[in-house]
Amino acid sequence: MKALLIFLMGLPLLGQQPPATTTDSPPPAPSTEPALTGWIDLGYRWGTGVGGSFDTYRSIINLGSGPKFLGTDFTLTDPKHKWFDTIQVRADSWGDEPSSSVHVEAKKSGVYDFNADYRDFAYFNFLPSYADPLVGTGVVLDEQSFDTRRKIAALSLDIRPGHWWTPYFGWDHDSSGGTGATVFVSDGNDYPVPNTLNDSTELYRGGVRFEMPRFHVTLEEGGTTFKSAQSLYQNPQGSLNYGNVSAPILGQTLDLTNLLAAYGIGGSSIYTKSLLTANPTTWLDIYGQFLFSQPDSHVNYQQTDAGNLYLQSQVLFYSSEQELIAASSQQPHTSGSLGAEIRPLKHVRIVESWLTDRLHNAGSSASTDTLMQSGTSIPLSSLLATTLASNYSQEAIDIFYDATSKLTLHGGYRYVWGDASYAFLPPEGLASSDQEQLRQNIGVGAATFRPSQKISVTGNVEAASSSGVYFRTSLYNYQKVRAQLHYQPLQSLSVSADFTLLNNQNPLAGTNYDYHAAQESLSFYWSPHGKIFDIQGTYSRSDLKSNISYLEPETLTPQLSTYRDNAHTGSALFDLAWPHGKRFAPKLAAGGSFFISSGSQPTSYFQPTAKLWVPLGKHVNWFSEWQYYGYGEAFLLYQGFRTHLVTTGVRFTR
Amino acid sequence: MLLAAMARTQPAAPTLPPGYVGSETCAGCHADLAKAFANSQHHPVDGDAKRGWQGRACESCHGPGQKHAESANPALIRNPANLAAAAADKICLSCHLNQPTQIGRLESSHAHNQISCTACHKVHEAGQPLVVRKADATNKLCASCHLNEWAQFQRPFHHKLPEGDMTCVDCHNPHGSIRPVMLQSFAANEPGCFKCHGDKRGPFTFEHAPVRFEGCQACHEPHGSANARMLTRANVRFVCLECHANLPSVPMKVAGVVPPSFHDLNLPLFQNCTVCHQKIHGSHVDRNLLK
Repeated sequence: MKALLIFLMGLPLLGQQPPATTTDSPPPAPSTEPALTGWIDLGYRWGTGVGGSFDTYRSIINLGSGPKFLGTDFTLTDPKHKWFDTIQVRADSWGDEPSSSVHVEAKKSGVYDFNADYRDFAYFNFLPSYADPLVGTGVVLDEQSFDTRRKIAALSLDIRPGHWWTPYFGWDHDSSGGTGATVFVSDGNDYPVPNTLNDSTELYRGGVRFEMPRFHVTLEEGGTTFKSAQSLYQNPQGSLNYGNVSAPILGQTLDLTNLLAAYGIGGSSIYTKSLLTANPTTWLDIYGQFLFSQPDSHVNYQQTDAGNLYLQSQVLFYSSEQELIAASSQQPHTSGSLGAEIRPLKHVRIVESWLTDRLHNAGSSASTDTLMQSGTSIPLSSLLATTLASNYSQEAIDIFYDATSKLTLHGGYRYVWGDASYAFLPPEGLASSDQEQLRQNIGVGAATFRPSQKISVTGNVEAASSSGVYFRTSLYNYQKVRAQLHYQPLQSLSVSADFTLLNNQNPLAGTNYDYHAAQESLSFYWSPHGKIFDIQGTYSRSDLKSNISYLEPETLTPQLSTYRDNAHTGSALFDLAWPHGKRFAPKLAAGGSFFISSGSQPTSYFQPTAKLWVPLGKHVNWFSEWQYYGYGEAFLLYQGFRTHLVTTGVRFTR
Repeated sequence: MLLAAMARTQPAAPTLPPGYVGSETCAGCHADLAKAFANSQHHPVDGDAKRGWQGRACESCHGPGQKHAESANPALIRNPANLAAAAADKICLSCHLNQPTQIGRLESSHAHNQISCTACHKVHEAGQPLVVRKADATNKLCASCHLNEWAQFQRPFHHKLPEGDMTCVDCHNPHGSIRPVMLQSFAANEPGCFKCHGDKRGPFTFEHAPVRFEGCQACHEPHGSANARMLTRANVRFVCLECHANLPSVPMKVAGVVPPSFHDLNLPLFQNCTVCHQKIHGSHVDRNLLK
């Protein structure tokens, strides 16, 4: 009995958890091996096929079926900090996708900071044109269409980041290549032909930043190289291409049988960038920058074509042509700004700034053109010089007054002036030179009210009066309004609103431009049960009205160009985590967006989507996603499409 | 003697100026923030003597904490979240003003509209950069205020932001820029559009003036449009004719001359001007932008 009593008294002691750690046993030593954390998504996408216009689908969506490397995001951390502190890698959408990217960041504190970015975009654009010149012949063709890929890369390296002087280097690359359809324009007819496109730009830069307590200076030098090759050709050579104009000219039908036109374009530039910030006293900050670039280009264009062709100015039919053009241009471009923020009183800030941008382009072109007709050659040649110049300046003063810690008022005035000109020498045609002036007086008023951390309201108004602008559709006498609201009534609920308005009128005789655009949006985010579910939604309405007079070219009759766009846009996303699943809880996300517009281009565009996540283990998730794309145009029904896509895959995490 | 020798081997604790309590005192109550801060990008401030805030990084932004530590009264400590934007920014700029990122601050609409640094940058975030870097997160951050702009990206023809292939900061510099609407620059002072659209950059022997004077948005809606190629008008001819409507014989104050009379707008051939004027962004070899 005594033994039983002792046993029963000891039971609670047996039920106690052992202490998690004891002072006798030291904590495990942190690993000194590099640690890898992140995830990778692999999957497969099925499409149900595209109903409607496959070309429009490819021009807008372009997602295809097949195995996909959907993405990855991982971080490698080295506790020893030997060669790096962290390396982060992100990649998205690889495997014959319309766009793919990879981004790498590697850094070692105080030693280097390295970034690499690469993106690959498929650019397919083949929209059955509303203005297809060949539609009468039964041919559906977008005569400016593309099937190309654009590749963009960027590398940057900062050495000794965080030190008072930091050298840095960078390289940017942008290239495009592919095929397409274009038009070979000849006098009297235009011939749609295939073409190949190829261009690339490289940018190299290096500089040094000096960051001191009272001032900072950045000096950077850089340069670019550019090359482009475009070739137009008749395919197959010798075949008849009757072009867009089928009506005979002087009883003869024009045609193209052979064509080879090639652009050999090269270019380069140098640039200088100098930046300065300083705070010489506690009440004064100074900002200044000087930027100069000087791109140039040079071109050799060669063209040989044959067929039954026509030169309108000489009423001449000819059977072949050979043209050579050599051209070059140079564009020195200087920009600069200088400004100061002055704080004469505790609650008053005065910002004075000046900005200028001066661009002068000068080009020349020499061409020799030889026409052949019945064994006779007719030489033509021309020499042209062009200039284009723009001198833009603006001076602005803004005064900010912190009326209270919750209310800031802002008033400002900006004067913008400039002149622009262009000229062709020798004068030829209807408009060989022109000069315009820019003069604008702009007033600004704004208020920001933030009574608490949960609510903020911002409103600003900009109104301008002009006595000169460069173009008929430029901002002339305009008013811009923007108001934004953020409100968080509950920890789980936040609401935002956004309103923008732009009115622009140019009352000059012959222009009579009247433009009005307004847009208002409302958004909310509600997460009532924390991790179980949340929902967010946005609704936006926009209204655009534009009226401007123009001249009908044939008769010079004044006409009115009207454009209307009334749109409703919405998007929503609902996230649900299965409440009782704990660690292996499935998750569901559903939502999408819609766009419905009426007016000059009535359009509907729907993108609903749903995605299910099911954890299969500690480090493995299965997911499946459904997407629908539906697009329609009321005036161009043949451009509509609809399709379902289903993607399923596995995420491995570590 | 032994004690004196041991005292010499201890690292010298930084002397705190009057009114300061040091980061360790802050961590006594704000353990979660201190833990997050220890893994944040701002943490070196606490350990680097050169920056002048060794051992009191918290107070570099929040000010002297002695009164607050003694009373636990939140009113007795500076909380940047409760300050006017300019006053909060002044704290950040006390270290970050003299850096190249601030060069466009005076022209920045964010600064003009009292959007403080902390609206985008998270100061205490553990193990994360000070601002989100992933494309989706960046766009979400911008869209949380710019609802109207984000709605425009839901239109069928748009730059690939909703797909996560691009971010708002590919085109805009949120700290401000010398270019309008805080546009990024390419090669010092050229529009940032040319970073990806190098084939439109030129310079061209025969320029199309609006491209240089008003930028791509003279004809394109860069955020998104219901019109193909993000054009401002549904029919290409109106994009062109709304400017090209001046009589050549009448001196006008604005550029753009009406096309010659053979352009019969009733024919499909002349309804889409870029069928022939294919080098609409500028031509190296033809003054009428035909090739």
